Amino acid sequence: MTRWAMVADLRRCVGCQTCTASCKQANATPPEVQWRRVLDMEVGEYPAVKRVFVPVGCMHCDEPPCMHVCPSTATKKRPDGIVTIDYELCIGCSYCAIACPYQARYKTDRASFAYGKATVQETQAFNPKRLAVATKCTFCVDRIDAGLAKGLTPGIDPEATPACVNSCISQTLSFGDLEDPHSNVSQLLAENQTFRMHEELGTGPGFYYIWDKKQGDASA
Amino acid sequence: MNAPEPAAAALAAYGKRATYCYQCVAGPDLLTVKVVDGVATEVEPNFAACGVHPGGGKVCVKAYGLVQKTYNPNRVLTPMRRTNPNKGRNEDPGFVPISWAEALDTIAAKLRSVREAGLLDASGYPKVAANFGGGGTPQSYMGTFPAFLAAWGPVDMGFGSGQGVKCTHSEHLYGEFWHRAFPVCPDTPMCNYVISCGANSEASGGVVGVWRHANARERGMKRVQIEPHLSITGACSAEWVPIKPKTDPAFLYALIHVMLHESARERLDLPFLKQHTNSPYLVGANGFFLRDAATKKPLLWDLNCNAAVTYDTPDCDPALEGAFACDAVEIGPDEAVLAQGRLEGSPSFAKLVEHVRPYSPEWAAEICDVPAATMRRIANEYLDHAQVGATIEIEGKTLPYRPVSVSLGKTVNNGWGGFECVWARTLLAVLVGALEVPGGTLGTTVRLNRPLSERHESVKPGPDGFMHYPMNPTDREHWSARPNIRNAYRTMVPLAANGPWSQALGPTHFSWMFQKETPKGLPTVTLPEVWFVYRTNPAISFWDTKGVSATMARFPFVVAMAYTRDETNHMADILLPDATDLESLQLIRIGGSKYIEQFWEHEGYALRQPVVAAQGEARDFPDIATELARRTGLLEQYNAAINRGAGGVRLKGASWYFSLDPKVAHGRDEIWDAVCKAASAELSDGKEVHDLAWWKENGLATKPFPHADWYLFPTLAAQGLRFEVPYQERLYRIGKELGNRLHEHDMQWWNEQLAEYQTLPKWKDFPGLWEKSLLKMGGTTKDFPFWLLTSRSMQYSWGNNVGIQMIREVADNISGHRGVIINTGTAEKLGIAEGDPVEIATPLNNVSARAVVRQGIRPDTLLLIGQFSHWATPFAKDFGVPSMNSLVPMSMELTDATGSGADVVRVSLKRSGVGK
Repeated sequence: MTRWAMVADLRRCVGCQTCTASCKQANATPPEVQWRRVLDMEVGEYPAVKRVFVPVGCMHCDEPPCMHVCPSTATKKRPDGIVTIDYELCIGCSYCAIACPYQARYKTDRASFAYGKATVQETQAFNPKRLAVATKCTFCVDRIDAGLAKGLTPGIDPEATPACVNSCISQTLSFGDLEDPHSNVSQLLAENQTFRMHEELGTGPGFYYIWDKKQGDASA
Repeated sequence: MNAPEPAAAALAAYGKRATYCYQCVAGPDLLTVKVVDGVATEVEPNFAACGVHPGGGKVCVKAYGLVQKTYNPNRVLTPMRRTNPNKGRNEDPGFVPISWAEALDTIAAKLRSVREAGLLDASGYPKVAANFGGGGTPQSYMGTFPAFLAAWGPVDMGFGSGQGVKCTHSEHLYGEFWHRAFPVCPDTPMCNYVISCGANSEASGGVVGVWRHANARERGMKRVQIEPHLSITGACSAEWVPIKPKTDPAFLYALIHVMLHESARERLDLPFLKQHTNSPYLVGANGFFLRDAATKKPLLWDLNCNAAVTYDTPDCDPALEGAFACDAVEIGPDEAVLAQGRLEGSPSFAKLVEHVRPYSPEWAAEICDVPAATMRRIANEYLDHAQVGATIEIEGKTLPYRPVSVSLGKTVNNGWGGFECVWARTLLAVLVGALEVPGGTLGTTVRLNRPLSERHESVKPGPDGFMHYPMNPTDREHWSARPNIRNAYRTMVPLAANGPWSQALGPTHFSWMFQKETPKGLPTVTLPEVWFVYRTNPAISFWDTKGVSATMARFPFVVAMAYTRDETNHMADILLPDATDLESLQLIRIGGSKYIEQFWEHEGYALRQPVVAAQGEARDFPDIATELARRTGLLEQYNAAINRGAGGVRLKGASWYFSLDPKVAHGRDEIWDAVCKAASAELSDGKEVHDLAWWKENGLATKPFPHADWYLFPTLAAQGLRFEVPYQERLYRIGKELGNRLHEHDMQWWNEQLAEYQTLPKWKDFPGLWEKSLLKMGGTTKDFPFWLLTSRSMQYSWGNNVGIQMIREVADNISGHRGVIINTGTAEKLGIAEGDPVEIATPLNNVSARAVVRQGIRPDTLLLIGQFSHWATPFAKDFGVPSMNSLVPMSMELTDATGSGADVVRVSLKRSGVGK
């Protein structure tokens, strides 16, 4: 079995939004729709304050709340952990957007473009099926599937890897198969202390955050 | 040749094309662009380059805006002519479309008339001026236009649009003087401890900086960030020290005090100080070196023989401390003999020790608002990490290994106090032998010394055992009383040198400032008769933007290469639509060692190539430049300049000859084909010749660049040269000489600046200089209690991309892009909540902003990121975000001796009714 997952190393992220931009371009999302983005957060009070950058998006949960509330069965979870939306089935009720504790879902009712009228590039990329339905990060599932079909390894071979990971200039983001103990992400989880966002909700996010090496790690 | 290359027909409708992005000075980034049905759709890293690019071949966020940049409907896509003769912010230019033929004819006619009347005006200044923005990045887009300028003759490129005075200016000039370090950088891949005074490497270091620092953090490098606000880099640092603005010299002096007065001498690199610096040089009563009467060489005291010997005496053990009497001569400015005979002197190191005695952490704590214990701890951590005595082997060479560094950011290392910070930074490296060695503090390229970009080759013996430096002369016979351009860099700033980059390294605000009144002794500063503008917007990016706009409105003939309408080309007479990043062709050098973190283990060339057809009537630069050359009768000189290397590579080499026929107008592809062949021949010592088609297919080619060449120390040591630190006898001398020359011409207005030429720089009340300026503007510190600063926006800086919707959208995720950052406690006291409209004011001007309330900023500091305040640029003019540039005046009293200033101003803040 395969379980695709994302790992973000918070020691490395600089909040540059290169992942945000590359996602927008690769997935042709309209203005203000950011399937991947990076939060700029502060913790503490002056002068004892820390600033931290946290990449967020769909967590591709083991138990996706969005899927459970979906009345049309548009949202599904694949065996490899990727949570999908079937635009043909989605009725745009937005239950999923309310249910998602990660604010990862978007719904755009009308076509919108960067400068009002669609440019030639936006016209070409425009997908009317995305109007009035829920959308979100897909882990660039098309790239994964096409890459696998060519014998490539997602997370290793760029052609089979989510755009945000390919673009990341600080090597914050890694993508791979959690079920493979030798995968890049499995290695990262084995070597580092991690958490998952809102883990207490029992959603089982497929998105892990590294915040330090494991104590006693010989390589530390 | 009158039409652009028929690029569209030759372009493939599908596929990926390799190209580069050099929108900011931290580039180039190597990328591919996906094309679908003839439309550019997606930027990706050029994964084929990950093996040679030190940032894993990744691409900065700005490059992802290039697709939208190409199809931006606000582009200027035809040549335009102004119909309203009146110029000004409130005047509609009345631009109307014209043909390329008319545009080029108009420009050429104007140029010919200028040329016929003489290239210089009555003041001796070039009649033609040109602005290309900062950092030299436009040169990676303007193709052969430099060849046209070379063919033309004298051109004033010293009108500031940010360069010169808003750059890291002190670092550029003094850094290059001391260690061929136009930009300075930690050896990030090997450094373990960095003291960063405001250096915002995570926002300004480009992909390579971000990549390397992330690696360094993960492997345990500790960086302490000292700055008034918690920047992106501060966020990624182990510790943030919120220092009071413009007090960094005091902080750094306190560190030096701890190292010299509270630490064992053995913790310093004493052999390095003795053999590789001027620490042992004896200093006489007048502050100049004691010299051997016969040879005039500086003396030091040899502990082996208890006698004074010249600095180059082999096998001596020079004293670093004490006082010694010897037969000597002390020579001052203008060769004046100040003393001779039996003279007493002390090593400059001893002078240094006494110099920093008062600068204890307790003293600095009062100034910097940083606890003394913090400074003491940081100084000791620095010493603990320095590994004095350690060595490392790199490429078979055994080199010192000192994994500690100090980096400085903008506003810290320019303007008043910049000299002191750069000196202290260099000294902190020198004290532990960490200058230009693995792990330590490095320069990465040269821009003032020749040959350009060749650090090691630029190291040549100069006076007194130090490197040669191409100072502008200060002696009576050679000092330049008549400046060659309006900012007078040759006259006023010896350290600015006189090379291709020097015009931009002078006091570039003088060109604007002196339009109102030229100070005594300089020829009357005039308006240029023709002004070319490309990839720059000084009406937004300089200080006193209102004044700058009003001045450029008086320029009689302005030619702007225009991407969209903007605040500067609002004053233009002719707009020319140039092909943008994904539409144009150029080969540039990559790799080697260059800007800040850009020191590679490879060097070579990369091609920018048309990915899609140029939109509208936009033309590539060589097509414009060639036509201008032809129509002004300069074609032969233009082609000759290309043959000499104005396109980036000499077309004739040891065993290759691709020179162009100088009498013929060549097409764009023909020119770059020759350049590509010459570049590939150069890379392979003539063994391989690849044409343009090969480069279009492959995108780049490189060869190894030695890692050991990142470090200058071995080159100095091999030539027996010393770093000219800590004692600044030469600078003190040229300062005195410059003063003599100016006073001989009754020029008294530079006297404050002359005081900056010191042997060992003293602390001055640097914040007080801005407070005095405030008083002069009619304000008091009580009424204007805040320091307004700015900070780098990685998403925007240098990019000419403020009109790109996607860039704005993603930049807005980062705090501060929507307004002014205010400390939470301060905001509460003033009754200001997040998003509230506020007014920021000086006694002379005010701007409106939205409040961005954050914990990570000092209570006495405000921050406006980037440079906005647009009023003409489509899309950007609706941001509603101000710029501090509207509030910062240009003034002589805030100009330092290098001709630089800083982005600092005292302001008031109050909640306002804006946006009700």
